[in-house]
Amino acid sequence: MLLSNHSLIELEKIGKHYVLGGNVFHALKDLSLSIKKNEYIAITGPSGSGKSTLMNLLGCLDMPSSGTYSLKGKDVSRLDESTLADIRNREIGFIFQNFNLFTKMSLIDNVIQPLIYRHVPSKERRVRAHEALAKVGLSSKINHFPNEISGGQRQRVAIARALVTKPSLLLGDEPTGNLDSHTTSEIMGLFDDLHKDGQTIVLVTHELDIAAHCHRNIRIVDGEIASDTRKSEY
Amino acid sequence: MIRENPNINQWLLTLVEGSVSALNAIKSHKMRSCLTTLGIVIGVCSVIVVASIMEQLTIKINAQIKDLGTDTVTLKAYTTTEQEMLGMVNMLTYQDYQRLKDRTTGVKVMTARMRAFSLGRSVSYGGRSSQTQIIGAESDYQKAIKIFPELGRFLRSEDDERRRRVVFIGSSLAEKLKLPQNPVGEFVQIDSEWFLVIGVAESRGSLFGFDQDNFLFMPLTTAKSILGQDAGQNIDIVYVPNDGVDEIALQDSIKRELRQARSLNADEPDFFEFETAKKTRQQFSEITGAVTLVAMAIVGVSLIVGGIGIMNIMLVSVTERTKEIGIAKALGAKPRYILVQFLLEAIVLAFLGALAGLLLGALIMSAASLVIDSETGFSIPLWSIILSVCFSTAIGIIFGFTPALKASKLNPIDALRFE
Repeated sequence: MLLSNHSLIELEKIGKHYVLGGNVFHALKDLSLSIKKNEYIAITGPSGSGKSTLMNLLGCLDMPSSGTYSLKGKDVSRLDESTLADIRNREIGFIFQNFNLFTKMSLIDNVIQPLIYRHVPSKERRVRAHEALAKVGLSSKINHFPNEISGGQRQRVAIARALVTKPSLLLGDEPTGNLDSHTTSEIMGLFDDLHKDGQTIVLVTHELDIAAHCHRNIRIVDGEIASDTRKSEY
Repeated sequence: MIRENPNINQWLLTLVEGSVSALNAIKSHKMRSCLTTLGIVIGVCSVIVVASIMEQLTIKINAQIKDLGTDTVTLKAYTTTEQEMLGMVNMLTYQDYQRLKDRTTGVKVMTARMRAFSLGRSVSYGGRSSQTQIIGAESDYQKAIKIFPELGRFLRSEDDERRRRVVFIGSSLAEKLKLPQNPVGEFVQIDSEWFLVIGVAESRGSLFGFDQDNFLFMPLTTAKSILGQDAGQNIDIVYVPNDGVDEIALQDSIKRELRQARSLNADEPDFFEFETAKKTRQQFSEITGAVTLVAMAIVGVSLIVGGIGIMNIMLVSVTERTKEIGIAKALGAKPRYILVQFLLEAIVLAFLGALAGLLLGALIMSAASLVIDSETGFSIPLWSIILSVCFSTAIGIIFGFTPALKASKLNPIDALRFE
């Protein structure tokens, strides 16, 4: 189905509440949001604002308590864990603050993992993983292990692992939170390049200079969108 | 477009890839894996050792019984417990034997033997004496029981007819008495009587540590006169039925004959019993079967305990790898993939444990066969290998399931947050 305005993601009146010790805590309140293909978005907000909850929902790690979430025109707000896993595998590429690599696997094996979950034939997986690692400039280290490389390089591996499945959405959770300023700008340069190649990117961050890189800034406060600004040229 | 394998192959692929990653997981925790599977190793090792020993015993027993002659039937006096309590002792007499011999048809051979009540009677040679089992027999005895001379000859009918003082001895008795290399022609002394050695039997080895070559045969008539008072004239009757004869009918007719000889009423019990090789073998296999069963039950319990060991460690391993599971789930691993992966790890652990146990058992048995002299050597029965490996694998599945299910049901967000 072809969407009229090329919407990749459509959140409609999304609510999410948790019950904590008998009290209902509303993390998200009737939040509506539309994300188009090839957008480059930063989600910011103070801690406890609900931005992590939003990220979990966008990443199909969690389901909303109310409202609907359509991804590529498909309602994904009420699915079982197995189907959600499949959607995560095909449509979402995760990048975490602390990289979350498999420490006992070589870099190439790390990048191959998502393709195993998808039952890609083994020869093809290696080819794809090679390509992805080349894209992040790590072709020479494919057989190294995560503890043998720097933090910046680890995050590059994580990005390669996120890209290898050719996801619709690259979702970063404080992707530079554990990196120094030099490495941060390198990683951000990589995100910029990916965006230029047409990748849709959503980064959850509290760093303002990261947010400044992005073309659209969404600020969440108390489970609601407080502001949604776009850079004028976009 | 990324190519994917078709659906039908996916389960198979999950299995193959899960096994590889299970092996990697086991490899990366060598020490822990070894300890985890130790219970299975010991359990399987015990299965192998027990089964192998029981097999060896069965082979030996069957060989021994075969030596006795498969068709041979022995008729022995039998006293019921009730009669025993009344102080009665039933006997088969030489008259019973003669009566049967005259009236029984359908036997190849029927002969009698007489044994001293006290198993050991002293035999002396050159100032040396030894306890032995003295048996009085006819020449036909050789036709019923497989017993072959190594030197000299067995008893002949004229020895019996003439009540000759000749003996045919077992090889270990010859050794014990330090008889010369060829003892034929030597004289041995029993009580105050002298006997000529006419032959030495081929060695039969030992069974359960019992020397089977410590015996002495003399003509039945001689034995009757010498052992008379001691043996109370009790004899055993040994016969071999003709080929194709209905053995039950034959036994029935013998029964009738013997009961008639004593004018027994219908309500009185038999004073004799039949012993057949088949019956003996059956008794032995019942015993070995029961022993095997008990041993296997104990081993089964130890394997289950081993399984619990696997479950404990797998549960720890799931907790330890919560973060890893969270990452895998975020990257799109389905619950069933996680389930299969952990289940396979438990199965592979159990399977490898079984293989290690197999190896250990084989090592123990081959070491044992070096120490214990055994002509046939030890063999490990195939059924015990298949049974122990299958049982261990099943244990892996049963006890691996709970931890695997726990892993597969972890919430990805919580798992990712786990430190």
